[in-house]
Amino acid sequence: MNQPLITVEGLTKRFDVSRSFKDVFTGNHPQLQAVSDVDFTLAPGETLGIVGESGCGKTTLGRMLIKLISATEGKVMFDGKDISEMTRTEELEFRRRAQLVFQNPFDALNPHFTILRSLTEPLHNARVPREEHGQRIAEAMSMVHLPALEHFLQSFPHQLSGGQLQRVVLARALVLRPDFIVADEPVSMLDVSVRAGILNVLREVRDTMGLAAVFISHDLALVRYVCERTITMYLGAVVEDGPTAAIVENPLHPYTKALVQAVPIPRVDQSHAPLPITGGLPDARNPPSGCRFRDRCPLAEARCAAEIPRLREVGGGRRVACHLVEPA
Amino acid sequence: MLLEVRDLVIDYRATRGRVRAVDGVNFNVPAGAVVGVVGESGCGKTTAVRAITRVMPSSAVFAEGSITLEGEDIVQMSDREMRKHLWRDIAYVPQSAMNALDPVWRVGKQIEEVLVGRGGMTKKAARARSEELFAMVGLEAKRLRDYPHQFSGGMRQRASIALALALSPKLVIADEPVTALDVVIQRQVLDTFTELQKQLNLSVILVTHDISVVAYVCDYVVVMYAGKVVESGPVADVLDNPGHPYTMGLYNAFPELGGEDRELSPIEGSPPDLLNPPKGCRFRARCPFAIDACLQDPPEHTIGEGHVANCHRAGEAGELREIAKRTETWVGVTSE
Repeated sequence: MNQPLITVEGLTKRFDVSRSFKDVFTGNHPQLQAVSDVDFTLAPGETLGIVGESGCGKTTLGRMLIKLISATEGKVMFDGKDISEMTRTEELEFRRRAQLVFQNPFDALNPHFTILRSLTEPLHNARVPREEHGQRIAEAMSMVHLPALEHFLQSFPHQLSGGQLQRVVLARALVLRPDFIVADEPVSMLDVSVRAGILNVLREVRDTMGLAAVFISHDLALVRYVCERTITMYLGAVVEDGPTAAIVENPLHPYTKALVQAVPIPRVDQSHAPLPITGGLPDARNPPSGCRFRDRCPLAEARCAAEIPRLREVGGGRRVACHLVEPA
Repeated sequence: MLLEVRDLVIDYRATRGRVRAVDGVNFNVPAGAVVGVVGESGCGKTTAVRAITRVMPSSAVFAEGSITLEGEDIVQMSDREMRKHLWRDIAYVPQSAMNALDPVWRVGKQIEEVLVGRGGMTKKAARARSEELFAMVGLEAKRLRDYPHQFSGGMRQRASIALALALSPKLVIADEPVTALDVVIQRQVLDTFTELQKQLNLSVILVTHDISVVAYVCDYVVVMYAGKVVESGPVADVLDNPGHPYTMGLYNAFPELGGEDRELSPIEGSPPDLLNPPKGCRFRARCPFAIDACLQDPPEHTIGEGHVANCHRAGEAGELREIAKRTETWVGVTSE
C-alpha cells in the first residue's frame, strides 16, 4: 500500500461546557468529549464516509481534519506532516490542498459577492497568478456542470437555486485543485430531485481527479453512493470501519446494524420490525462506563460495562469496537 | 370520506402580483387512512395542507374551491365556527418541533393550556391527561416539567405529537414531522406515530419530501409539482407503477440502501416561477417525454383503482417507465 495521505492518531477533542453554580464553587471544569481517541488512515484518492447520529462528533472530526479546530490530544498527519506543527508556508500550502464543502449552501457564500468573486477569492489567497484565474474558474465550473458564462458568474447567490449554489460551493473548493476535501452533509439542505446531481458530481470528481475525500452524513444510503469505505461513529468514538459494501451488507457492530435497519427505502414491501435499539444518545458529558453504546445495546453483558472495547481488526479490512464480535 | 379537498386555489399577495401557490388541487382523506403529500420545496404542499387549518399568513387568499370536513365546508366557515374544529377535530404538527413549543413555558403547561382552554377540562383533569399523553408517545411524566430546550430533537417531536393528540382530533396534519431527525430517531418517532394512528384510528395527512417515509407509513400518496397534483393513488400502486414522469424521475433521483448500486439521475432544471407559470403541463420543461400536446393542460388519466396521473402520455406509462429507468433519459432535457 502506498503512503497514506492522512494519518489520524489518537485524535481527541474536549470542549468546555458551561459551568453550573455548583461547579464554580467546587472548582469543577466540566468537559464534553466530542471526539475520543480516533485512529484511521486515508490513502490518496480514497473516499471515506463518516456516518452517525447528530451529536456523535462526526462534524467535529471533519473540522479537525482540515484544522478549523485544533485537537485536544492526538494528531493529524497530512502527507507525513503534523498539521498542528506546520510553518506558515507549509500551512498556506495545506490550506490550498485541503478544502471544506459546507452543509448549507444558502449561507456558505458571501451574499455581497458575485459568484466570480467567490471563486476568485481562494485563488487570490493561494497566490495563483492572475492570468491563470480565468482558466481555473472555467475548469472548476465545468467539473460541477455549471456554465462559465459571464452573466452567470456575475450573478449573486440570491439569484441561484439551492442546487446551483451547492455546485458553486463545490466549485469554490475545487478551484484550487486540492488533494483532499471534507464534505459535511453536502446535500441535506437540497431537494431530492437535485441531490442526485450533486452526488454525481462528487462521484465524478472522485473518479477523475483522484481526490481523497471525507463525506460526512447521517444517511448511509448517500454514503454508499459516494464512498468506498465507511466509518461509523457513536458518541465520539469509531465503532466500525470497513469497505462500505461490506458494512451495508453485513454490519457487525450492533449500532451499525440498527443504523442500516433504520434507513427507510422507497418501497412498500419493507420491514416494519421494531429497531433493536431504543432511546436516544446518552448525555455526552457523562457517557456510560465501558462501551459507550451499552445502555442501548440489545446484547450488552457485564463485560461491556467494565471494559472499553478497542477497535480491532476482524479480517476483510474491517475493524470493529465490540467485545462480542469475534475476529473472522 | 372524512375530508375532501376540491379544486382548491390559494394565492399569496406579493409585491409583484399574485403568486398562485396552490392551483386546483384535489385529494381525499378517508377515515383512518394515512395520506402522504410529497413534492419539492415550493411546490405548494405546505400551503395546501395548512389551508385545512385555516391558520394562514395574512397574505394568503382562498381564491376558489372547497375543503369539506364531514360535510361542512371549512373555507366558508366563520372564524368562530372554525375555532370549534381546531384541536378538537383537526390538529396540526408544524414543520419544526422547536416552533411548535413555546421556549419560555414548561412543556406540560403548554399541553394543559390546550386542554383547559380548548377542551374545557379542569386543571386536575388536564394534568392527568397530559401524563397519559406523554405515556402514549413514550415520554416520562416527569419530563412535563421540563422546558423545550431540555428536550432532544426526537423528544420535542414526540411532545408536539402529544400536543396535537391532546383533544383526540379526528385528523392530524403533520408537516415534515421527521425531517430534521436522524435515521434512528426518525424510525422510532415514525413507529410511535403509526402505532398511535392505528390504536386511535386517526386520519393523518403527512407532508414530506421523502418518498421513503411515504413508503414506510402511508396508505395513499399525493404527488405535487408547482402548485398542482400530478399523481395520486394508493402508495403501492404509485411507487410500483408511477404514471407521471415526475414521479418516475423522483424514484431515480434517490439512492437506496437495499438492492444494487444503481446510477442516480437528477431531474435537471428547476420548478417554474409561479408568478408567471407556463401554459399547459408545468413539468414540460424538465420532462424527457414532452410532446406538443403538453402545451395544453394535461388530462386526468385513470391508471388503476383510485390511481390517477395528470399527464398527456399516461396511457403509455408502461413503456415510459422502462425508458425513465435509464440514466441517459434524464440528461440534457431542460430546453431553456
